[in-house]
Amino acid sequence: MKEFSLILCIVNEHLASRVIKITGHAGAKGATVFYGKGMVRSKLLEILGMDYLHKEIVLVIIEKEQSPQVLSALKKEMSLEKPNHGIAFSVPLNNFIGASHADYYDRNEERESREEGMYEAIFTVVNKGSAEDVIDAAKSEGARGGTIINARGSGIHKTEMFFAMEIEPEKEIVLILAKKESVSKIVEAVCAKMKIREPGNGIIFTCGVNDAVGLVG
Amino acid sequence: MNILFIKFKEVLSSVLPIVLFVVILHFTFLPLPTYLFIRFLIGAAFIIVGLSIFLLGVELGITPLGNHVGSSLSKSNNLAILVVITLVVGFFISVAEPDLQILADQVSAVTGGALGKMSIVGAVSIGIGAMLVYGLIRIVYNIKIHVSFLILYGLIMIMAFFARPEFLAIAFDASGATTGALTVPFILNLAIGVSVLKKNSRASEQDSFGLVGITSTGAILGILMMGLFAKTGALQGSAGSAAAETTSIIQPFLHRFPVTAFESAVALGPIALIFILFQIFSFHFNARTTGKILKGILYTLIGLILFLVGVHAGFMEVGSDLGVRIARQNPFFVVAVGFVLGFVTIFAEPAVHVLTHQIETVTSGSIKRGIIFAALSIGVGAAVALSMVRILVPGIELWHYLLPGFGIAVILAFFVPELFVGIAFDSGGVASGPMTATFILAFSQGVASAVPGLNMLEYAFGMISVVAMMPIITIELLGLISKIKNRKPKEQV
Repeated sequence: MKEFSLILCIVNEHLASRVIKITGHAGAKGATVFYGKGMVRSKLLEILGMDYLHKEIVLVIIEKEQSPQVLSALKKEMSLEKPNHGIAFSVPLNNFIGASHADYYDRNEERESREEGMYEAIFTVVNKGSAEDVIDAAKSEGARGGTIINARGSGIHKTEMFFAMEIEPEKEIVLILAKKESVSKIVEAVCAKMKIREPGNGIIFTCGVNDAVGLVG
Repeated sequence: MNILFIKFKEVLSSVLPIVLFVVILHFTFLPLPTYLFIRFLIGAAFIIVGLSIFLLGVELGITPLGNHVGSSLSKSNNLAILVVITLVVGFFISVAEPDLQILADQVSAVTGGALGKMSIVGAVSIGIGAMLVYGLIRIVYNIKIHVSFLILYGLIMIMAFFARPEFLAIAFDASGATTGALTVPFILNLAIGVSVLKKNSRASEQDSFGLVGITSTGAILGILMMGLFAKTGALQGSAGSAAAETTSIIQPFLHRFPVTAFESAVALGPIALIFILFQIFSFHFNARTTGKILKGILYTLIGLILFLVGVHAGFMEVGSDLGVRIARQNPFFVVAVGFVLGFVTIFAEPAVHVLTHQIETVTSGSIKRGIIFAALSIGVGAAVALSMVRILVPGIELWHYLLPGFGIAVILAFFVPELFVGIAFDSGGVASGPMTATFILAFSQGVASAVPGLNMLEYAFGMISVVAMMPIITIELLGLISKIKNRKPKEQV
């Protein structure tokens, strides 16, 4: 069975498209991007109120064995070895459903027996406007709630061209933290409601969490 | 690499096209007097530095302020509070807008005092306040945006039918003048602050835009209303800017500086006051956030002053000089240069940067700023070219453009995705900013003054209204294309 990793790459504004291109050459089939702000450590800039930069955070899922290649390609092409050019790192995934030929599912026994942590983080990426449905589905299986992040993404399908520009449609990322034992039920409920297994309806992936606080009840 | 440097790079690449175009004209067909050319280059430097600081200031100060004011207004959950506060805010922001003061002065002067300055400012500001209220109520009560524009422009059309053509020109120009470099960022963010509270994320995105467009109709309605009741004879006059000619290079900058500094400070006054009042009664921000917003407001002021000094002292006279010289060339050349001038000037318009940035933020980068810039440039280029045609071809009246133009804009609104309708009408207000109102206006006045036998009032005023109209159509067409492109059959793997 194939295993997958999530690559997170944080770069300066307007560079996300290049990151997507690089990971695409390395075999990634899609990417999700959202905005963030990076703080700069400088006393003078802080006094001037200029101690921040706009950043883009790129999420890419690839097969686990490709992850070192992709990271080194990113390092080389985005000059990540130089200061202030951004960072990239990878996280192992437990589940990944949604892309074609990718229905990777960690077996439940394995999940129970694993030592680390009681929780898992469930990420669902859906088209804009559907995030509330995801949270509803998850809640019906015992999730406490969810966090919505506005994003854009290019999917596994051919991106439409708009004059010379690629259209990257708007997406919403839903982050749900859940107890290990309820993860598969929640994932199945979301998959069923959003028809994730049919192409073009989004992706879902989970990764292990060492510890969590704030989930009450 | 810090944030100011990034803004600087962005601004540099936006202002270079207009500078290069004038430099090329200078060394080929239309040599400028040396003192004007040097002044132009100094002005460009002022504009680049000023615009960078201004955009940083808007991001630090005006953007969060507008967002928070919008949120706390709608969170108050009290219609009376929303209406009263918005009305007052809208009125005073408009009164303080220097462009409106200048326009009112000019109108009052060319009409020999038949239209008093105070009554023009009053009529426009009441209109702005009222429409700002309507625009927010529209968001809160989910009134469709295309229906709103159909009603508003329908009303304008009916009133325009009874109004004199001169009033029509003044009315549309006033709407361009009030949506200035300071007002637009604030109103844009006010809309985002209100609509972000909506649970439906699609609706909240769509309603983030359109408020500037709705608000600017307030000025048109205000003036037309005044025109229906005011008893004046036919308005005749010349609106030629009687600026004292001087060949000094530095003097215009020194002369312009205190005037602009005062005007900009007055314009920023209501916004600073809004911050202080909301901070005391509603926000209660901590020292760090308060400090950032105050720094932002200060940067906005400094940047705006530098920018406006650059435009007035460096660009304006070059604009009218180019216009006068070019009018002696063949007509095709006049129209072509007008198109290119409009095309490149829009990149240097401050509010355009704020709008495109806002679009990227709200759509998480799905709509790229490049494509919006492209549509805006073509729109403004076409608008200036059309204005040149109107000056050169006798018999074309302003309403020959405005009636079909706004008619198309309103009809297209029914077929275009709502998000693009909002962006389109906002772009109209945004495109007619300080750069258009000085440089391009001076250029077309220059051309008009070289053509004998024109009613200057009609020609000098009115150009801005076409600039405010054309981008609406081009952005709506952009939305239409994207809709058609997206209507692909359900894909299969």
